[in-house]
Amino acid sequence: MKIARTVLTVKPHFRALRRGAPRLESVAMPLPPDRFYYSPIVERPRFRWPNGARVAFWVAPNVEFYEYLPEADGVRDPWPRTPAPDVREYGYRDYGNRVGFWRMLDVLDKHRIRCGVSLNLAVLEHHPEIGEAMIQRNWDFMSHGIYNTRYLNACSEEQEREFYRDSIETLHRLTGKTLKGMLAPAFSGTERTPDLMAEANLEYLAGWTHDDQPFPFKVRSGRLISMPYSVELNDSPVFLTGQDADYFYRIGKAQFDRLYQDGERSGMVMCVAVHPWRIGLPHRVKWFDALLGYVMSHSEVWQATSDEIADYYMAHCYDDVLAHAQDLERSSTSGAPKWPPIPPTFGGRRETLRPPLSS
Amino acid sequence: MPGQRRYGMDHEFYRWSPMIRRGTLRWPDNARVALCVLVTLEHLEWNPPAGTYQSPTVAGGRGSRAFPNYLRFSHREYGHRVGIFRVLETLARHDVKATIPMDAMTAEHYPYLVRYCLDHGAELIAHGLSASRMITSRMSEAEEREYIARSVETLRTASGIASAGWMGPESGESLRTPHLLAEAGLRYVCDWANDDQPYPIETRAGTLVSLPAMLDLDDVNALWDRFMPIETYARMLKSAFDVLYRDGARNGRLMVITLHPWLIGQPFRVGFLDDALSHIKRRGGVWTATGAEIVDWYSRHAPEASGRVG
Repeated sequence: MKIARTVLTVKPHFRALRRGAPRLESVAMPLPPDRFYYSPIVERPRFRWPNGARVAFWVAPNVEFYEYLPEADGVRDPWPRTPAPDVREYGYRDYGNRVGFWRMLDVLDKHRIRCGVSLNLAVLEHHPEIGEAMIQRNWDFMSHGIYNTRYLNACSEEQEREFYRDSIETLHRLTGKTLKGMLAPAFSGTERTPDLMAEANLEYLAGWTHDDQPFPFKVRSGRLISMPYSVELNDSPVFLTGQDADYFYRIGKAQFDRLYQDGERSGMVMCVAVHPWRIGLPHRVKWFDALLGYVMSHSEVWQATSDEIADYYMAHCYDDVLAHAQDLERSSTSGAPKWPPIPPTFGGRRETLRPPLSS
Repeated sequence: MPGQRRYGMDHEFYRWSPMIRRGTLRWPDNARVALCVLVTLEHLEWNPPAGTYQSPTVAGGRGSRAFPNYLRFSHREYGHRVGIFRVLETLARHDVKATIPMDAMTAEHYPYLVRYCLDHGAELIAHGLSASRMITSRMSEAEEREYIARSVETLRTASGIASAGWMGPESGESLRTPHLLAEAGLRYVCDWANDDQPYPIETRAGTLVSLPAMLDLDDVNALWDRFMPIETYARMLKSAFDVLYRDGARNGRLMVITLHPWLIGQPFRVGFLDDALSHIKRRGGVWTATGAEIVDWYSRHAPEASGRVG
């Protein structure tokens, strides 16, 4: 199966060029960290998700374990309110595993959602009942580190390698599943993270929130893609900034409506990020229910896990998107008048390509 | 220098001018409101060099994060990869041409965006080197002059167009910035958030026009710094416009809205911009224009001197 490529009529079209604007003489050095080709979404090769779906709908609960007495790493203090322990904050999060998870699970079951869970892997060891519930439902597991109180920033290269080895081994031992991706705990990381993940044969890293589609990382060797996790449609920042679950529902609905519209042009990812200790509270869960119901009432939605999205993208989109981005970079910096045509309006225009994925 | 306890301002750049003492500003076709939308394209640096000044709130003001801060970095990058296209499409639907403050790093490293913006009728104005390098009074005069020259020159090289306007990253200025902007050939500045009309700033190199952008209407200020729900933001834009429209019947008003595609261009937000613009454009008597068009008009049609007309 190949993805349909946009047909480009190659002609100089930019008015600026016709006005005689000077071409760029210098080829600018890439801006650090140079982890991605610049790829304007309106130019990118278009694709649809399986069965022609417009939106891949990924529900990502963060199932977490915070240590009562974490070891200080000198970079980030998980309990900044008081010298550890901070039983109020610890308890607040523990609620998620004792109660919130199960309430959230009822709602997910009601809508037959399979999650791509963002999992502190030690949860499987501390709370095997939660592990069993997830395995029973055939969820996929994205690493969210071992504990939510152990971060990557201070890791040496060897320590970080060991971290991935441990994560892969732990998941396999306790669930039988192969680890494919990670959302690092607290968005921690090093400058080596993408390289070392690719080296460990992982497929995707979430937490780069720069796009509504997956996109290839530049890595030393192998392949790695970014998975569009959300820090906007995420219960944590929403509830921390004066809003509650009714607002979360409303923006979730608006988010879906727009992505569903844009998804007519090319497949989009909608990630809903939640935390059982936040969304699983008694007064909130009905809004989560309503949001899931709204999204799932649409036909051209692919309810998928992050693993499934990554697998599909790797198999059907990665090569074309990467080749296109490389072409665009070459044509943009060589000074040659090989500018692509005016991109079609982003979203909304129905006559633009609806690439039926030939299978 | 502390204030001197005298009539008027405590600096020499512009005169004290209470609204009630002004002459009448008339826009083309007697429009009541001139609408200018600034769509900022700026680069947040991965690891800004020592000695540069980055506002503590530039990355969103939810506290600093350890390096590498790819969360904030990539959130901003969303604007360049995805958000800008939604924002420009929305403006085009309402026949609004964007005025785009574009920093040097964006201009140099995103030739595609430069062309795209020009092709969509936008006016590009200089916007410093990067969002991570504010102008402050810690700079020497030579450093600041060089900073401004590089910003203007990079944009000129990338776009083929000499910028008429300036907006500093995070509206940063030193004590001498307006002088240096005028010396660099710039004609207007959007840093001072203090009026409903353009007004002159006097510099040693001539007059610079100030195009004041209302801070409360800035999407980062409202949505990010003040945690405003997006529905409230749309309502605020509409009611701000309604009052300017009412007041503009007597004396022309200016509405400058500053937008950041990484924020307003998110899928769940952009529809609310569309909604607010529909409200604004529904009325006759609204002149939508770019910064340079407004400044040109203003320079040729100074308010008529008169008494109490505000």
